[in-house]
Amino acid sequence: MMQWKTIFKKEMLEYWRNFKWVWVPLVFILIAIMDPISTYYLPKILDAVGGLPDGAVFEMPEITPVAALMMSLSELSMFGVLVIVLMSMGLIAGERKSGVAELVLVKPVGYFTYISSKWGATLLLVWTSLIIGLLTSWYYVNLLYGDISFGALIQVIFFYGLWLTLVISITTFFNTLFKTPGIVGFLSIATIIVMSIFNQIFSHKITWFPNNLSSHIGDMLDSGSTSGELWGTALVTIIIIVALLFASLLAFRGKEMAN
Amino acid sequence: MAMIKVDHLTKTFEGKNAVNNLSFELSPGKCVALLGPNGAGKTTTLRMLSGLLKPSSGTVSFEGMKEDGDIREHIGYLPQYPVFHNWMSGKEFLVYVGQLANLTKPQAIEQAEKYLDRVGIADAKNRRIGKYSGGMKQRLGIAQAMIHSPQLLMLDEPVSSLDPIGRRDVLNLMEELKAQTTILFSTHILSDAEEVSDDLLLMHQGEMVESGSIESLREKHQTTKIHLTFRENVDTYLNKLREIPSISEGYIERNEVQLLVADIDQARIDILAKASSEQWPLIKFEVSRVSLEELFMKVVNQ
Repeated sequence: MMQWKTIFKKEMLEYWRNFKWVWVPLVFILIAIMDPISTYYLPKILDAVGGLPDGAVFEMPEITPVAALMMSLSELSMFGVLVIVLMSMGLIAGERKSGVAELVLVKPVGYFTYISSKWGATLLLVWTSLIIGLLTSWYYVNLLYGDISFGALIQVIFFYGLWLTLVISITTFFNTLFKTPGIVGFLSIATIIVMSIFNQIFSHKITWFPNNLSSHIGDMLDSGSTSGELWGTALVTIIIIVALLFASLLAFRGKEMAN
Repeated sequence: MAMIKVDHLTKTFEGKNAVNNLSFELSPGKCVALLGPNGAGKTTTLRMLSGLLKPSSGTVSFEGMKEDGDIREHIGYLPQYPVFHNWMSGKEFLVYVGQLANLTKPQAIEQAEKYLDRVGIADAKNRRIGKYSGGMKQRLGIAQAMIHSPQLLMLDEPVSSLDPIGRRDVLNLMEELKAQTTILFSTHILSDAEEVSDDLLLMHQGEMVESGSIESLREKHQTTKIHLTFRENVDTYLNKLREIPSISEGYIERNEVQLLVADIDQARIDILAKASSEQWPLIKFEVSRVSLEELFMKVVNQ
């Protein structure tokens, strides 16, 4: 446990020194508020630019607060996921590639301690950024579109955070398999895309697939109650996360720490 | 009593044996050099001992270690090209790895300060490692290997990449550390091995060719050599010298007659008696021993 804390703290210090604590939250805020704000101001922007021919009537559909908040999630699922993968593709692979891992792992550090502490550190950074990002988005949605309760926001953060945790776990898993951060990044993105395609084809049959978290969250906001589907999907996601961590350990054990 | 016992250790990379059937023992308190040309399997051997590589077959056992024990608790290891977190300061890094080696934070800080001072980079302890010179990184590497006072310190080519001054400093440091821990270090330079080590393990193409204390190796492979220089052409004397029974071999090198002899005392009497009776214009008579360098070359060129 002490070693876990040592590595975790070292990661925190590293995120601080390379400004991850600054830019990751900022980028998450940007991604989260981009769509709700630009959509709100779109009519005014069009007006000001004057791109519409005379007499044309431009009617914006009425956007509900829920739909506005869901825009944030949809952008996060795209760019947020990309940022997470790019940021953590060298989590372990980078240390192994550079050779620092040779110094660290020749100390009596358990492999699971090593993997899980780094995973945990990324988790803290991502969750913090997600909370800040969605809080900002929630603030603007309340201001521009209408009320969403704070309780609902908490639920959104919790369930959506599970999806991002899964993304981190997928990247962590590939980190233990490969030593080149580029390959780790590529395979992580590819996996997420394949999962999304799979989900689009089978979503009516397999409703508990992790990619459905967002749509279940949308249903929850609309209906005001957490469905069994949402809980089920959350549970499946957690199980996959645990399985991925376990698989990471097995993969790492089979690796040789020097080349 | 052996502290570490290596038994029929073999490592195969893509069908090629990098280390082949290696067996040796290390006794505590010794400084042992793993000597061999590049590609002999020294690094692979050290990496297997440190647990970074898994042996294809064979075992490494540490005295007093339980069956399921972690060998890494008892060893310190410095890779040939140590890489650190360049954004950390030297002290931060030492405290970090110290804690990873199960020291408490205060202990780790204490040990870090001690070894920063010991390896002579205390002045730079708060500077970022990225700004360290090669020699300083090497010293930091030794400090990080020693931080948890391991029973066995393994250094992979600790001086090969250093300039003469850095090399001297690190060798002196090793000399000091000998009192504290057993040292196993690899090198391809014989003089470095001769300078600090008690025992030699000579490796070539993944196999152990020779092992033993430096003295015993010298004795075992010792042939005495006599160098003779004459005021005039040496050729005429070579044939006469070859007639002496106590001389096993004679040849001319650099205008000098070189004689390999088994019994130096007998040979000296014979040669000097002949020189005196035939009034040879002898200007130099020198006795030397075949150096380990020649042994090294002989073994490697086989």
